[in-house]
Amino acid sequence: MGQQVETRKINRRLFLKRTGWVAAGLTVAAYTSYPVVHSTLPALPTFDAPNTQDGVLWLQAMADGRVRFFCPRMEMGQGAGVGLSQVVAEELNIDQADIECILPDTDQVPPFQMTVGSQSIAHFFDPVSWGAAQLREALRRLAAKKSDLPADEIKDGRAGFVLPDGTLLGYGALVPDTGVIVGDDQLLPDDALPRLALKSVKNHKAIGQDWRHHELEAIVTGQMTYARDVQVPDMAFGAVIYPPGFEAKLLSADTNKARAIPGIIGVEINKGDDFVGLVAEHPFVLETAIEALNAEWQIDETLDQGQIDARLDVQKFRSDDDFAHTLLSSGDLGTGQRHAKHRVTGRYDTPFAAHAAIEPRSGVVWVKEDKIEVWCSTQDPYFVQNRVAKVLGREAEDVVVHTHRIGGGFGGRVPCQASEAAARLSATFNRPVRVQWDREDEFSNNYFQPKFSHYIEAGVTSDGKISHWDHDFVSSSILTGTVPGLIGKAIDMATPDDGTIRGIVPQYDMTNRRIRYAAVRTPVPINAWRGLGSAPNAFAIESMMDELALKAGIDPFQFRLQNLPPSSDRLANVLREVAEISDWGRPTPPDTGRGLACAVYKDETAAAVVVDIQIDYTARAVRVTRAWCAQDCGLVLNPHQVESQIMGNIIWGSSMSLKEQITIAAGRVDEDNFHMYEPLRHGSSPEVTVSLVVPSNMAPSAVGEAALPPVPAAIANAVFAATGRRNRHLPMTYESTFDETG
Amino acid sequence: MQLLINGNPITVPEELQDVTLLDFLRDFAGLTGTKYGCGIGLCGACTVHLDGEATRSCQTYVSDLDDARVTTIEGLAQTFSGEGLHPVQQAWIAEGVPQCGYCQAGQIMTASALLRRVPDPTDEEIREEMSGNLCRCGTYGRISQAIARVAQEA
Repeated sequence: MGQQVETRKINRRLFLKRTGWVAAGLTVAAYTSYPVVHSTLPALPTFDAPNTQDGVLWLQAMADGRVRFFCPRMEMGQGAGVGLSQVVAEELNIDQADIECILPDTDQVPPFQMTVGSQSIAHFFDPVSWGAAQLREALRRLAAKKSDLPADEIKDGRAGFVLPDGTLLGYGALVPDTGVIVGDDQLLPDDALPRLALKSVKNHKAIGQDWRHHELEAIVTGQMTYARDVQVPDMAFGAVIYPPGFEAKLLSADTNKARAIPGIIGVEINKGDDFVGLVAEHPFVLETAIEALNAEWQIDETLDQGQIDARLDVQKFRSDDDFAHTLLSSGDLGTGQRHAKHRVTGRYDTPFAAHAAIEPRSGVVWVKEDKIEVWCSTQDPYFVQNRVAKVLGREAEDVVVHTHRIGGGFGGRVPCQASEAAARLSATFNRPVRVQWDREDEFSNNYFQPKFSHYIEAGVTSDGKISHWDHDFVSSSILTGTVPGLIGKAIDMATPDDGTIRGIVPQYDMTNRRIRYAAVRTPVPINAWRGLGSAPNAFAIESMMDELALKAGIDPFQFRLQNLPPSSDRLANVLREVAEISDWGRPTPPDTGRGLACAVYKDETAAAVVVDIQIDYTARAVRVTRAWCAQDCGLVLNPHQVESQIMGNIIWGSSMSLKEQITIAAGRVDEDNFHMYEPLRHGSSPEVTVSLVVPSNMAPSAVGEAALPPVPAAIANAVFAATGRRNRHLPMTYESTFDETG
Repeated sequence: MQLLINGNPITVPEELQDVTLLDFLRDFAGLTGTKYGCGIGLCGACTVHLDGEATRSCQTYVSDLDDARVTTIEGLAQTFSGEGLHPVQQAWIAEGVPQCGYCQAGQIMTASALLRRVPDPTDEEIREEMSGNLCRCGTYGRISQAIARVAQEA
């Protein structure tokens, strides 16, 4: 293979020394391992979850008594920084003003897990609590030494310790002028480490409060620096023409005409990898210069949506009995079918979808002899670091990524292609270069949520139980969605994609069941989109649950409850709660309908959603008017942030259900701006009511995507309640509602 | 040619008279609080005030501005006679509106222009007026709350 994979251990001290980051007050422990890959392998995203002990890497006590928190999560509005700051505050008995929470650059902390999958609190609560507790106890030992008292006489105080005589010794006075607070070998074992964040919620001071994110004032005054706002001295302005279709090849470009435009520094063309870029002294000539290049491309225009739909057709796979993966099989479908009093079949399809974050991506890169600096926003700065290094043929450790708040992530911001292009242009023209994508670039050049095609045949017994569940589906691999060609196909055959199949196993009791999956790769680039497979999969499952209930003449809420096993008590609990707050069962006015759905996200967070919809026959529109969500996500660090995330998920889910669809035409993405792909607007959005299961002493679990999965089915179920018409394809529109009969 | 931006006269170089106000603000005046989102006037991220009216800066050319007074998010607080931030900015913080925050400058400029014209808007008026500003994080509910808060406190 010629590939050499080497894992080398880097001692934490070495990491600090190399980066020049040793600062008085830093908590320090041995850092476990830091895989360094020297090979022709592509750069990979940073998958590994943190170890508890990593927490000490992210905290620094400062001489002014405050604590610096290098928050190991990228910020894109989910507010992980504020929730984790509350954990730091809880352990250290400090307030929000005592914490300086920053997004770390890649040379400030070792690589941490990319910010995806609603893991920020679920995976980082424990390490942050552990690290902050170690810092507190190390400071206590310094206080004991300073006051010449035994450590157990040094009691916790606000932002410091209280001595037996009542004096307060602030943390700042304990921070040594040089060196570190605690050596690798002086950390307390787990059983000797008091953990204030793990105490019962009634003892919490910071956890459970509605802290506001510390950057709100910067945001509302226009002072927040997003990646697009970065300015670097002597910066030049780059632009790139991307291939205008899938696998398009560059034929020609007129470089002379572009070069002659005043202000143009240079043009870089490479037919080998279809790169067309140029750099200017100021950004105002870029558009003219791009036009002057008159780039011509060869595009295979045969690929269209019809071909893709034909390939992602679950019924074709059923007739060929061609499912590579049986995800689950128990009991006997034939026996179940014989016991069924009512049987229902349904085919449910969801389309390709785009992230459509409001900030199109941007990168500024400065390639210097000894160091490469990147300014961008990304869900995985270490992935960008590796990709930029690959582009330039340099070592990852030569690249520093300066991170910025992301203007909307939703899974779409793991790579930063604009930074990769800027790196290339900076290397060629020896200047810091800025490359910004416009809206059309975002729609045309990023990856998408895959299309899903589901088929379910299921039944209900005479006593209202699920007799059998035969579920087949076809989609595309998400986590490995951008892996090319044959390698991708081999991966698809070897293993079902964890992202695509997320949430595919229903929570309900069903003895006789089988779930099968087949993966299809098309030229359409696929990768993470909010919730991955969870929303399309729940759309199929929870629509079928409604169809079964109605066929059996049972209330959909009761039907779900009576089919949930005792082990699903948290889901049953949120179902009862959402029924309560929405007054489920009350009569609805004409032309309106209510729907219900529920799901457990990643086996950890239970959410149930009720929506009211209204059919506006005059405007020919379907509107979601109200929504209620009850959610159990364990310990809630910040109720306001969690509610915001739930509201966001309801809006996102309404938008994906009613508005969004990417279509492929003539070998390219048809939609290129908001006139063709228009996310839900304010006037069409529902009023949302949220109920959280609090207090909870369960560990905190996923929030950022957890309330999304039930939304599309709840809406489809509500439309059925209003019209007697079943939408089994997203997006649901007025037209599709009245074209299809259930 | 000169523009009056947030009360400051700024001379427009001859060669920049054809650029959009958005590009001029961001790449010449260094006022990056006004955001690019779509370039075709559909998302509202670039909203500024021209003589107090909410306007899409990506659809406005510098040469068309004549004597209009331009207010951007950076200058909004100056248009308020009281201390500190503009009441709309204060309400945005109190209600904890922003998630990613990228669209919020545009939302705030639209909301503040609405409240100037209609100090006590109905819920329907708020929803209609704010529909030109997209938010992908789904902060619409909190935006309505924040606007209602300003109206109540006025």
